[in-house]
Amino acid sequence: MSNSSATLSGSPPGSGKSTTGRNVLAWVLHNVVWIWLVALVVLFGLFNQFFFTVFNLQNVMVQATVLGMLGLAVALPLMVAEIDLSIPANLGFSSAIGALAYSELGLPWFLAMLVGVGVGTLIGFFNGLCITKLRMVSLIQTLAMMIILEGALLAITQGRTITNLSDGYVWIGQATVGGWPIMPVVFIAAIVVVGIMLRRTVLGRSIYAVGGNATAANSAGIRVDRVKIAAFTIAGCLAGLGGFLLASWQMAITSSQGSSYLLYAIAAPIIGGISVFGGRGNVIGVLGGVLLLTVIQVGLAIVNVPSFYVGMIGGFMIFIAVAIDAIRVRYFG
Amino acid sequence: MSLQSSQSEKGDVVLRVEDLGRTYGAVIALQNVTLDIQRGTIHGLLGENGAGKSTLVGLISGQRKPTSGTIYLNGKPIEHADVKSMEHAGVFLVTQEPMIVDHLDAAENLMLGIWPSSKGFVNWRTLRADAARMLEGTGIDPRMRADKLDAVARRKLNILRAMFSGGNVIILDEPTTSLDADDRTELFGFMRRLKAEGVTFIFISHYNDEILEICDAVSVLRDSRLAGGTKDMSTMTSEALSELVLGRGLDLFQRKRQDFGVESARIEIRDVAAQGVRLEALDLHPGEIVGFTGLPGSGAKELARALFGLIPSSSGSISLGGTQGTRLPGHPTEAFDRGIAFLSDDRRRDGLVGQMSIDQNLSLSSLSRLSKLNFIDFGEIRSISARYFELMGIKAPGGDVQVDTLSGGNQQKVCLGRVMATEPRLLILDEPTRGIDVGVKQDVLRIIDDLASRGVAVVIVSTDIDEICRSVDRVCVFAGGDVVEEITGADITNQRLRQRQTA
Repeated sequence: MSNSSATLSGSPPGSGKSTTGRNVLAWVLHNVVWIWLVALVVLFGLFNQFFFTVFNLQNVMVQATVLGMLGLAVALPLMVAEIDLSIPANLGFSSAIGALAYSELGLPWFLAMLVGVGVGTLIGFFNGLCITKLRMVSLIQTLAMMIILEGALLAITQGRTITNLSDGYVWIGQATVGGWPIMPVVFIAAIVVVGIMLRRTVLGRSIYAVGGNATAANSAGIRVDRVKIAAFTIAGCLAGLGGFLLASWQMAITSSQGSSYLLYAIAAPIIGGISVFGGRGNVIGVLGGVLLLTVIQVGLAIVNVPSFYVGMIGGFMIFIAVAIDAIRVRYFG
Repeated sequence: MSLQSSQSEKGDVVLRVEDLGRTYGAVIALQNVTLDIQRGTIHGLLGENGAGKSTLVGLISGQRKPTSGTIYLNGKPIEHADVKSMEHAGVFLVTQEPMIVDHLDAAENLMLGIWPSSKGFVNWRTLRADAARMLEGTGIDPRMRADKLDAVARRKLNILRAMFSGGNVIILDEPTTSLDADDRTELFGFMRRLKAEGVTFIFISHYNDEILEICDAVSVLRDSRLAGGTKDMSTMTSEALSELVLGRGLDLFQRKRQDFGVESARIEIRDVAAQGVRLEALDLHPGEIVGFTGLPGSGAKELARALFGLIPSSSGSISLGGTQGTRLPGHPTEAFDRGIAFLSDDRRRDGLVGQMSIDQNLSLSSLSRLSKLNFIDFGEIRSISARYFELMGIKAPGGDVQVDTLSGGNQQKVCLGRVMATEPRLLILDEPTRGIDVGVKQDVLRIIDDLASRGVAVVIVSTDIDEICRSVDRVCVFAGGDVVEEITGADITNQRLRQRQTA
């Protein structure tokens, strides 16, 4: 007993065989997002050979890019045990500002793009300030911010779609190298950068500590408020970048740009293992969640499911993924 | 107080466990435990973390099923014991974490889940009347919101709740954790009153003095077995209890006291004003261990927190190592940077990040020191973590074990390791040995002693007088936010400090 007093985490040693079986099951459940992803790819492929084509793979990657930027952005506030619902609205609004800076102020497209990303970053920073310094509840504060930004976008566009974007601005959304779209490279770069930030920097470890136990983090010498503000600010920056990518890809900014992404942008990181209670998860998980949701969307479109059923079936698939994950947490911690 | 008075005589056996055992796979958690608990007594249960106390209590309260043996209640064997049937029979477990809903008032908390009702509607009049009757004479206002109640009132509320549900054997799992001396006395008085009414208590504690003070009988568990016990507390001593707990004589730590002359004054604290603190001057010496004592609100704890920047100070300066005095730190980050480290008295709340590993917790306060351009030097981190893992004698399979799964004593060692890893010049420890068993306590005191011998000034804030006596060079007694008396050398005695505290 003196040994087991040191740690209570180990499962009781049973016979070798059942332990192995249990380990396999634990491994399967831990990687359920990836297994589910592979299973769905195979399933969709069996329904329609087109799913396995290079063209479709490229399509999935491009579709995953914008959702991925949003998913990463949503993940950061979640990791410090807060939430930012305004991120998809931020994406739409900041890209419209960027477009206006080009068309109204006559800035070069690159500067105009930076203005857009800057506005997104500032909105994230402002959200962080409200939540830390004013102690506003992030769920409601960012809900209000979402409504404000969606309304502002509608007001700016007057309900019309912005299409007068410069060639340079839309380049990244259209360009290909050897037939492969280059837009996904931005998402991959973002994953690498955020991943390194979380794993290797003081800020990253502080984010995990603050999300795990904010009081303990504070007395451990971590400035909790600053860490939270940083998480929101980076999230805003990612939303701004996502806004640029979406506008560039679609070559247009609608009066409700981004708002349809809200629920998927929140679902993706959570499916990927980011805890809503903070302190848990990593970028690879977010990538898995994003790819899973994208494959479901694209796959359902390709296998010719009548559009009236797409939402429902997609919802069921997400539900199954989350239910399996809940079972994993219940039995394997 | 409406207690279902039992028909049976006081002094007979209310609960008997016979040859009780429990295994988990190949792990033996409890083995051949036989003991009798007399009605209307307070029965102490003592043992190191992992000795089998929780298992025994879990079996008695029906949370787990025994793999062998029988539990008798009022002479009848209990079959298929689960929590519901044990509670029905009157056995209740009151855990460390008070099960209280903060935004409901005391009366409703008392009745939570057992609301008097008809057809699904709560009968508020009966609820209020019953609650008022139960709370009479306990000093708890039935209308008071639970989050406004103090710690001792919350403990009482849980005990009353168990009684109102028909409980007459109540198991208290470390009920004195985070209570100060006064609250503890009050809780003990409350328990004695209920005992006189025929309630039986099983009382789990880490503290010998508590067991000696309140228990009528004691049983000690060691390595999953009953190590011994007595039904006659008059012959029991603290040393004998420790020996039963450890299975060997306890090598009580005793510091070789040193006298630091005025000459070597190095750390000067001046004119501190903060919530609850109004201190003129205090000098500390490198290598010295100073004890801070005082009643709650006397300023001892508050000064400790202000020095570390955990509570804001409106004025005050500190100079470390002969330099010009500078403003007290405004935030723990600044304190660590300047060589001031602090260990909180509540490790679960603000000492550890439970879901992180031992290594990650050990290095948490040193991250910025161990990084270049904000990028962490993982090699450094690994070597620092390994060093403090070793130095603190943490018992775990490895540094990657999640801190949540460690025992209390090991968690405390991780906390202490974390603050020591910042290599402070002034280390402030708030109740460093609270809630850890007596063997680990000595380890912790030795580590602190060793640290001081390497030139670190250490402050220990403690309400444990025995411990203060054995581990410090000088005692500062606090009252009204300032040091009112300093005791040094041979004058530091148990008696003197006790006198001082009650005065």
